[in-house]
Amino acid sequence: MIQDISLGLLQAYKESINSYDEVLDQNGEIKPYWQGLFDTLETIGIDGLKLHNDEIIKKLKENGVTYNVYDSNKESNRAWKLDPIPFLIHESEWKTIEEGLKQRARLLDLILKDLYGPQTLIKNGIIPAELVFDNSGFLLPCFDIRQKHNKQLVNYAVDLARGPDGKMWLLDNRTQAPSGAGYALENRIVMSKIFPELNKKIYRKRLSPYFSQFQQTVDSFATHSNENPNVVFLTPGPGTETYFEHVYLSSYLGYTLVQGNDLLVRDGFVWLKSIDQLERVDVIIKRLDDNWCDPLELRRDSLLGIPGLLQVIRLGNVAVVNPPGTSILENYGLMAFMQNACKFLLKEPLLMSSVATWWCGQTKELNFVLENLPRLIIKKTNRKQGFRSIYGRALNDEALENLKNLILDNPKEFVAQEEVSLSTTPAFINGVIEPRFAVLRAFLIADNDDYKVMQGGLTRSSAIKGKFEISNRFGGISKDTWIISDTPISYQESVAERKYTNNQLKNSLTSRNAENLFWVGRLCERTMALRSFLKIILNRLNENVTKHGNKQPEFLVVLLKSLTHLTQTYPGFVGKEAKEDEEFDNEAIYENPISELLLLINDPKKVGSVVYNIQSLLNTINQVSEKWNHDTRRIINLVEDSLFALKNTNTNNINYVNHGLDKLHIRLFSFYGNIYETLPRDNGFYLLEAGKNVERILSLLSVFRSTLNFKKNEEEEILLMEAILENHHLLSQYRNIYKSHLSLKAVINMVFLEKNLPYTLAFLLDTLTEYLSKLPKTNDPNRLSIAEKSVLEASTIVKLIDADSLIKEDELTMFRPELDATIAKVFQLICNVSNNLASLYFNHSVMQHSVFDTLENIETDEI
Amino acid sequence: MKYKLKHQTLYTYVNEVHNYQSILCLQPRNSAKQICRNFKIEIEPRPSKIYSRTDYFGNIQHYFSLHESHKSLKVTVSSEVEVLNNPVQLFNTISCEEARTKFQTDLNLKNEVLQYQLPSQYISWDDDIIAFAKTCLIPELSLFEAVLNLNKKIFTEFRFKSGSTNVNTPLQTVLKERKGVCQDFSHLAIACLRSVGIPAKYVSGYIETLPPKGKPKLEGSDASHAWISVYIPDMGWCEFDPTNNMIPQQRHIVTAYGRDFADVSPLKGIIFSSGEHKVKVEVDVIPVQ
Repeated sequence: MIQDISLGLLQAYKESINSYDEVLDQNGEIKPYWQGLFDTLETIGIDGLKLHNDEIIKKLKENGVTYNVYDSNKESNRAWKLDPIPFLIHESEWKTIEEGLKQRARLLDLILKDLYGPQTLIKNGIIPAELVFDNSGFLLPCFDIRQKHNKQLVNYAVDLARGPDGKMWLLDNRTQAPSGAGYALENRIVMSKIFPELNKKIYRKRLSPYFSQFQQTVDSFATHSNENPNVVFLTPGPGTETYFEHVYLSSYLGYTLVQGNDLLVRDGFVWLKSIDQLERVDVIIKRLDDNWCDPLELRRDSLLGIPGLLQVIRLGNVAVVNPPGTSILENYGLMAFMQNACKFLLKEPLLMSSVATWWCGQTKELNFVLENLPRLIIKKTNRKQGFRSIYGRALNDEALENLKNLILDNPKEFVAQEEVSLSTTPAFINGVIEPRFAVLRAFLIADNDDYKVMQGGLTRSSAIKGKFEISNRFGGISKDTWIISDTPISYQESVAERKYTNNQLKNSLTSRNAENLFWVGRLCERTMALRSFLKIILNRLNENVTKHGNKQPEFLVVLLKSLTHLTQTYPGFVGKEAKEDEEFDNEAIYENPISELLLLINDPKKVGSVVYNIQSLLNTINQVSEKWNHDTRRIINLVEDSLFALKNTNTNNINYVNHGLDKLHIRLFSFYGNIYETLPRDNGFYLLEAGKNVERILSLLSVFRSTLNFKKNEEEEILLMEAILENHHLLSQYRNIYKSHLSLKAVINMVFLEKNLPYTLAFLLDTLTEYLSKLPKTNDPNRLSIAEKSVLEASTIVKLIDADSLIKEDELTMFRPELDATIAKVFQLICNVSNNLASLYFNHSVMQHSVFDTLENIETDEI
Repeated sequence: MKYKLKHQTLYTYVNEVHNYQSILCLQPRNSAKQICRNFKIEIEPRPSKIYSRTDYFGNIQHYFSLHESHKSLKVTVSSEVEVLNNPVQLFNTISCEEARTKFQTDLNLKNEVLQYQLPSQYISWDDDIIAFAKTCLIPELSLFEAVLNLNKKIFTEFRFKSGSTNVNTPLQTVLKERKGVCQDFSHLAIACLRSVGIPAKYVSGYIETLPPKGKPKLEGSDASHAWISVYIPDMGWCEFDPTNNMIPQQRHIVTAYGRDFADVSPLKGIIFSSGEHKVKVEVDVIPVQ
């Protein structure tokens, strides 16, 4: 029976094939390992496949796998797409492919050394000089860079596809910052977790040997007989599409994730700036494009690089994977000359063909290209100029004519490649298995004398049926890639003896991360504090609507003004003083306070609003992605959901708004709880907690001051005191102790002095003191830092208050001068704490060039 | 001819600079035409180390970095340079067109000069520049003479006006407003030459200036200078000074060759600070007997 159904699924797929397909061999027979996979798919069934697909989507979202620039302004982030059906290649075929890839890597390494060295390829006319000297990937300052490893090209990624002759063709080289290996790993891990039954009957090769080799190779770069090399993973930051991969891979490989401004060149070495010291860096895994990595000698407007880096590389005091200059190998034009270069340098024929390529700088080739445009793809020799490949097939006569003229204008700039008909492979699209074109990215890492190829890769299939253009940027779908073996894979994981755990143990905290963590604390608390106070106001407003209609009682006016002070969203409820010849109705806003309140919740452009704060918080959280564990990440996803929900809140229904705010509150509290329970007690944690306490003190003081610094009539004042106690989470405690009688003196004594209640000033200042004392000091460890001194002073002022004199008011104005001045003083001191920490631990100087150029957009790392 | 050379650059910053990374390209070259002796660099505040390196073009660069907070930086280089007598070269009458063809067909020659035929950071050309170039670089005219004409045209039709341009002033503006400094004139001449397929280099260095008649020479009154070098088949690289309409002889001292100013800027650096900065340069080229 099963046999019959199996025939059904596979048969249905076979019928939908309309070009060369991976499932079939040259004779049109089904390859046995695909048959095996389809047998399994059959038992799972289409419905089961759908379920698994949903699970995969959920899992990827949970893990935060994205391929795009993080932007909380968008409704949702573009999640990584993973097809539940993998791409299969048999090991017998893979061996041949591997040989071709290794040869290509050796060849490119030799080409690289030659072009930045004796240039025999140019002198002997093997490679036209234009393709080198007229290429933005050829960087003159790199001509004397020679790392001690015998391979200059260390890490290499290559795009492959099966051509009509049944062989794998090389489509493209990625050399300056090869990306995708992390996604390949994540794909495999997710597939193994969600869909373990899929490879029940199949033996597939493991990916981990590639990553172990990666670590070993990197270790071998250790400079100066350093047994424990300090390795950093250099990312351009959350502004890159592949940022997820940078976070993921660096943590998997055990390297510190850094941005350019975390590093510094000094005394001929590269140093990592942590908050208490400089640590020497031995190896940099570079995910920055070459041209951006040293503004002193390369692109001077780059703010992503490390000025002076090239000089350190030349001195041999740091190794970079891959070294800058490698970008020249990405020139499409070079592909036309690979066969000859191979014969010239390696004295052997090229094993793997590149897709047929013509450089238009040669007369014969140019004429061929102009005559055959409709079947060619036109590219530029200089990459990354925002030029998208042009498919001749898709053009009408007029467009073809324009293209012809464009090429003729400057033929040397253009390269034409044959539009090969790629093979199709089964893909699960909208509940149906259908054939899609696929491209495979393979990964290589240098070992002692050759290269090691990852036993797998990152396959992507086209988003649109029948379309060859495959790129994640344009919505491609990725696939796990299996190298199939006929025999079980022996589990011989050579546990890479990581000689060092140095970094993890010491937990060096970069200044940038220090600042980000401090701000995670502040921004999270800012959002929480605003939410609490908003809730107090909304509840009272709700009661008031039912009681008095539209006229707002005095105490509510005070609270609303206080809210404007807290969020600093002036004029808001505070209003402004009318200038001459200007009328400003400060009362109008009170007729419908809900609309202003709503803006304070849902307006992402209003600085100080709830959603504005969440956005800032999420951006900051994302800057330190590597700090969050799996559960925290799930909570962050929920906070993000809250952001989208609150942005779309547009109702006058207070209960509805309250509900959304409550949800946010619970999620942020889970965030607090989770990080408090799981973060290691290190400087990062102390700074986060310090930030949280600083912000909490400041927001409580702000509300207290603006609410009670003027005496009101007794009835109003009782309502205000109630609100204040609620804001400090002290109302029930107060009632327990003082029963129902509210006196300002008792309220002040409690809010200021009670040592065991978490939201009193005394408690918060003690907590802040405790965290600050754990942070490293630059001066004598037995002395107080400036920040600690400020807290000590604030704490002393608070603890020495005399409630009787604080509550005294000026009889004429009803102003309470001592209360106001005391709070103002404490507020100022705590502000100082924040500034002191910033100048002590965070880095605020700006990189400038002696000659200024305009800043252009950062090139993106497209895969 | 022997000279004592001194080149002092003083930076002052509004705010403290915490970290400074810099590359100097200030050491006069040694060649068949000149000898540089006793080259010295003094930097205040003192860097812990100065690294020297020969760049792609054979120029000598010095790299240093500073890490103590400072509000001013003084870089002084001094040397003694002897400019040798230039043996007069046999004049080659190859025409512009013949030369252009030769650059394309002779593979070795092409590989040597290609980089100086391509646009570079500060040098590109549009139709206006090509039209300007074609008034002098006439295909059938001898290349050497054509370059002399181009020099003369720039010298007579453009006004030397210091401060009228800066390093980022586009060549189109220089051409339109007919004024600039030696750097602009050299860039313009190079753009003209490259636009018709003739390779040309940018030369940075110094020129000895003479004081007004009857007045003593003032200290710091000289300036760094720029001119061009053109490849003329069978003669090799020949230097021309469009600013002064002359062929450099013994009063020109060469510091560096490059595609344009970007390759040879005398002092470039990255500052970590939050404020603005000012710069003051003094150059002395003193003849010694």
